[in-house]
Amino acid sequence: MKHFTKMALAATVAAGLCTSAAADIYAPNLSYRTGPFAATGIPLMNGQKDYFTMINERDGGIGGVKIEFDECETGYSTEKGVECYEKTKGRAVVTQPWSTGITLQVLPKTNVDMIPILAPGYGFSPMADGKVFQWAFNAPGSYWDAASMILKFISQDNLDNLKGKKIAFLHLDHPFGKEPLPFLEAKAAQHGFELLPIPVGLKEMQNQSAQWLQIRRERPDYVIMWGWGAMNAGAITEAVKTKFPMENFIGTWWSGHDADLKIVGEDGKGYKSISFSRPMLDAAIQADIKKYVVDAGKSQSNPEEMSGVFYNRGLVISMILAEGIKAAQDHFKVGEINAEQLRWGLENLNVTEERLAELGMTGMVAPFKTSCSDHTGHSGGWVLEWDGKAFVEASDHLTPDSASIQPLEVEKAAEYAAANAPWPINEECK
Amino acid sequence: MLYRTAGQYKTSYASDQAVFPVRQDAILLGIILLLAWVIFPLTASEFTFQTLLIPILIYSLAALGLNVLTGYAGQLSLGTAAFMGVGAYACYKMVTLMPWLNPLVAILLSGAFSAGIGVAFGIPSLRIKGFYLAIATLAAQFFLVWLFEKWGWLYNYNSSGAIQVPNLTMFGVYVAGPQASTIVQYYVVLVVVSLLTWVTINLTRGTLGRTWKATRDMDFAAELIGINLMRSKLTAFAISSYIVGVAGALFVFMWRGAAEPNLFDIPLSFRILFIAIIGGLGSIMGNYLGAILIVGLPVMLNTVPEALGIHIDSATVEHLNIMIVGSLIIFFLIIEPHGLARLWALIREKLVIWPFPH
Repeated sequence: MKHFTKMALAATVAAGLCTSAAADIYAPNLSYRTGPFAATGIPLMNGQKDYFTMINERDGGIGGVKIEFDECETGYSTEKGVECYEKTKGRAVVTQPWSTGITLQVLPKTNVDMIPILAPGYGFSPMADGKVFQWAFNAPGSYWDAASMILKFISQDNLDNLKGKKIAFLHLDHPFGKEPLPFLEAKAAQHGFELLPIPVGLKEMQNQSAQWLQIRRERPDYVIMWGWGAMNAGAITEAVKTKFPMENFIGTWWSGHDADLKIVGEDGKGYKSISFSRPMLDAAIQADIKKYVVDAGKSQSNPEEMSGVFYNRGLVISMILAEGIKAAQDHFKVGEINAEQLRWGLENLNVTEERLAELGMTGMVAPFKTSCSDHTGHSGGWVLEWDGKAFVEASDHLTPDSASIQPLEVEKAAEYAAANAPWPINEECK
Repeated sequence: MLYRTAGQYKTSYASDQAVFPVRQDAILLGIILLLAWVIFPLTASEFTFQTLLIPILIYSLAALGLNVLTGYAGQLSLGTAAFMGVGAYACYKMVTLMPWLNPLVAILLSGAFSAGIGVAFGIPSLRIKGFYLAIATLAAQFFLVWLFEKWGWLYNYNSSGAIQVPNLTMFGVYVAGPQASTIVQYYVVLVVVSLLTWVTINLTRGTLGRTWKATRDMDFAAELIGINLMRSKLTAFAISSYIVGVAGALFVFMWRGAAEPNLFDIPLSFRILFIAIIGGLGSIMGNYLGAILIVGLPVMLNTVPEALGIHIDSATVEHLNIMIVGSLIIFFLIIEPHGLARLWALIREKLVIWPFPH
């Protein structure tokens, strides 16, 4: 008993030291290292965490203030997500919901709780309209950006080339998978290609034989995939089995996970995925991560994972948050910023080529800039292609067709605001 | 000692048949009601409301609905989540089509829709029993979730396919949607749950409850003594689905704020079935005990390492949590297969004769 008391005392003291020595800006992450989507979650979470560990170790935080980067495990379940949101919202300067379901639930509460949501590359595409969604950010790109870039790529930058073609849209039958549908439908009507939506139910993710039978029968020119978790591996193995030409198969940025392709290896050659980030293994930041995080034994990752697309995307995502914090600190001239100040910071991000070079992240993401009316930044991205062993770049830098996306964003954002009236609109923003 | 019944004489049939023949039980209930109605709302934090009080009440109500069907009338059902979904979608359609409708009325009415669907899927119960019936209700589960996904009208052709609760007011106060305050939502849930629990207690103690129990214990014997099995089974389906439907509407409107179709998929049905089984089939109180164990305990356990100042990874806590709750479920089912309500009844019996057991 005595022994136990001592241990408990030691633990308390240690924990006390931890909290007093650690940090002052609390940035929680609603992680999912457990559950059905863990395989894709872990590399992302590791990347995000390692970036902030590196910042804390190398620079002593941002602007001299350490970042307490904490994880709250959701297992990708909406119910746990709400639990985590409630648990963290007291001190948090940001919410990173990490699932479209949790985002949908948290989104309407943001105006009341006044905590910015940071959902890089996911969530609700109309969140780009910052006048309506004052507290939500999905920089550097939305799903509609991704869809637009994919169409541009397969049509060689002229959507009229797609006239008369047939494009199958294989997607998870879930808010996430349906997200690009309004955009794709509009484009199909405008440019005269046939869009064939093929939903994959959550229960059918691993067994998509019915969907691929349909694809074989319909013989589409291209298959665009909006998949996540087990669905990606399911679709890719099924495509190999049905001998679908891999070079005509292209996924969104969450469908480009190295481990999913390693299952099929050489057979997956030619599969493509759009991406707003690139793994740059010779970038300066990699050395710092190795020095301050990996060699210090503070990383949960491994070399194989660290060379992958998702780990490096995790780094980019944390960089966006860190830049938001920095922008807010510079503007308000305080170290310990609060949620409202971070909102300003995320709204005034300016990630330039020079800034990326300073961060040692040149080429890992394209330069972008947010404003009060544009919460996405629309950085564009690249097409990555599986060469049998790794994802390599297969295109120049692509940009989304913002001119045609923007009116749709405004329209859908207005619809959302009307359905959730009374909804405050940022009138000051021009 | 605390539970001594000496001196409490029953002088009339009415007092002998009272809900609480022992005075201490009534006092205990009084304390619980006082806690739920006054003490918790005064002291609880928003976190407690959102992750413990409101979900426990809503899950208890859903389990209560299932218990009417499975525990009292003996009809096994695996479609609970789908019936909750019917309630939620019905409520959503009502408040969007008729924005002037009082939200509380809408929630209570939405149960009627799931009652109708419940009766339709209950018809096979007249011919099939036990596990075979469970499979028939499984059909409802799959069919309805499929319908929620495919029928655009149900979610107002929203591009995300999910339903989102609008801001609703009642007498000038927001009761649902992002603008509503948690304490108001808690009271709405508490009113509905208290009301339906009171109705159910009375139903199960009355004629209807007795016919259900007779049906459960041996249906052809019940038929021989003149019980109309069709009426007995279908009323059980209707009332059970009504309660479950109301629970579904509360689930989305008073707690979640948004719902996608797969929320109402089979894992939720199982969860509610487990609450009912672990709490105790054929008991009212068991639903609450079961919900506290299955819904509340994991949340409480999650906060333990932090409260003790021990730093463990969130994912590890989650794994530990699953192990602890899982082993507790096995533990309770081994020491008392009839559920927590029965366990409490045994403890109470012991308390009554303590300290002089025969």
